[in-house]
Amino acid sequence: MEKDRLNRRAFLKTGSLALGAGLFTGAAAFAGSFTNSALQAWSCGGLAEAFQPANHAFEQKTGAAIAYTGAFAGALGKSLLSGTSQTEVFAPRVLELARKLRAQGKMRWFEPLCFTRYVVATPKGNPAGIEGIADLARDDVRTVLSPDASPPGGKASLIIMEKAGVIEKARKNAVQLGDCVQTAMTVLADGKADAAVIEQRISRLPCFAGRLEVLPIPEKFIPPAPVPFTIGMMKWAKNPDLAEAFIEYILSEKSQRFFEAAGFIHARSSEGRRLTRKYGVIDA
Amino acid sequence: MLKTFFSNWKRRIVQIVSLGLIGEWSFYGIFRCPFAVPYIGCGNCPVIQCPGRSLWLWSWILIGGSVLVFGRAFCGWICPGGLVSEILSMGSFFKNKLKQRVSAGLAYGKYFVLTLALYFFFLAQNPRWAIPIRTGDFFKSVGLTFEHADPIWIYKTLFVLAALGLGLAVPMFWCRFLCPTGGAIEILSRFSLFGFLKNARCSDCDQCRRRCHLETRPSEINCVQCGDCKETCKPNAIEWKSPLAPWLNPDTNFGSGQAPSADRTHFL
Repeated sequence: MEKDRLNRRAFLKTGSLALGAGLFTGAAAFAGSFTNSALQAWSCGGLAEAFQPANHAFEQKTGAAIAYTGAFAGALGKSLLSGTSQTEVFAPRVLELARKLRAQGKMRWFEPLCFTRYVVATPKGNPAGIEGIADLARDDVRTVLSPDASPPGGKASLIIMEKAGVIEKARKNAVQLGDCVQTAMTVLADGKADAAVIEQRISRLPCFAGRLEVLPIPEKFIPPAPVPFTIGMMKWAKNPDLAEAFIEYILSEKSQRFFEAAGFIHARSSEGRRLTRKYGVIDA
Repeated sequence: MLKTFFSNWKRRIVQIVSLGLIGEWSFYGIFRCPFAVPYIGCGNCPVIQCPGRSLWLWSWILIGGSVLVFGRAFCGWICPGGLVSEILSMGSFFKNKLKQRVSAGLAYGKYFVLTLALYFFFLAQNPRWAIPIRTGDFFKSVGLTFEHADPIWIYKTLFVLAALGLGLAVPMFWCRFLCPTGGAIEILSRFSLFGFLKNARCSDCDQCRRRCHLETRPSEINCVQCGDCKETCKPNAIEWKSPLAPWLNPDTNFGSGQAPSADRTHFL
């Protein structure tokens, strides 16, 4: 028995040392292996507030430099599909875009990244007493719309209001019909309007911090197309190991907080897993 | 040429410091601002890299203050676009060849562009004419902005670049004839407290106009209070004074051959 116990102790001790050494050398290798390497990463512009701190954390951890571009994914996707531009990692909105890039062989693979959430926004204090999207049909509620903004901010909001049966009244009572969601939100935050349908991420932008309140919108009103975001490695990745390490870091638990702080649901959270199944975000 | 360029070295130092402080913002306004009218209302701009998001409000307050005190000195001492125009204009081949009447007529172009800018900003709610590249590698982002911009944004940008480039032919073409900010400042500078003025010793020899990179004279249209002309004035007729208090400047001449009591419509 005594011998067994010693053996077990010796085994655990040796095992722990080996595991520790392994983890240390692994971490050291990860930290140092990408020093002086550079990676070009593009994403939908809406993700910029999440990507910027995540990129910085990755750079600190690995020594690699991330050249990041965030802009309307439709435009970036068009450049990639037409071949006028290249990037090594791409995180687009709209599943269909990732699938098109995969079908053309320009994206090697992709993973679900996160999901956006549409909400009803009101000025701080909710002076009009909005209780939900149905209240946008009230005669006394001034709305602000951005029908000419890029589709996720413009068209998607209109579809939500249409599905909720409030679009006509919301249009009629609009104090502004613009082409920029952020400009519209200034009108709302200043109290010149009572409600708007926006992505939750807009309410988390530093310029609106503490100036807006949000109310949830039932999922049945939300069109599926603009909700999921993916992240994938492109065929132009010069250093696939670095690209993969970057993507894995963005998908890791450590990066979740950046995405959640920016108003997104991370794909690897429990809610994110449910939405992954619901929207079928699978790299087939 | 370089000697002349650096003759007013204090102004060059201020211009270089200003270039460091707001030069990047100027560049963003031309090449990456997605809106019809750049540099105004930048607080909510989606281009999160643009330094104008934090600079614009204070900058305009300071510009407004400087106009009330020093007239159009912003154009001559601070504006990075003005510095670029001056550099481009160093080798202009139509220097001092434009007739004064033509030059004075073209100068009204500033007010036309200003009217357009005011219309787009206040009445059309400053429409967005390009896809904002929110953040990205600088030159790639400029390329993407051009690639995905509406044609009207491209025409506007090319118009500004062409007008700046015309400085290679006609000195300071953009600043003298088209800059809407210069136009707004020119109007407000009627109320400025100080400026370079001509006194009664002025003999209309036009030495100052020939020295001036904007081909004007103190207190006349397009004078940017640079002071470059002061040293060239043989009768010592250029003084730093207050145009709002002519009684303090009894020998001041507010325009070509005018009496001290003459009106000051030449400011416009």
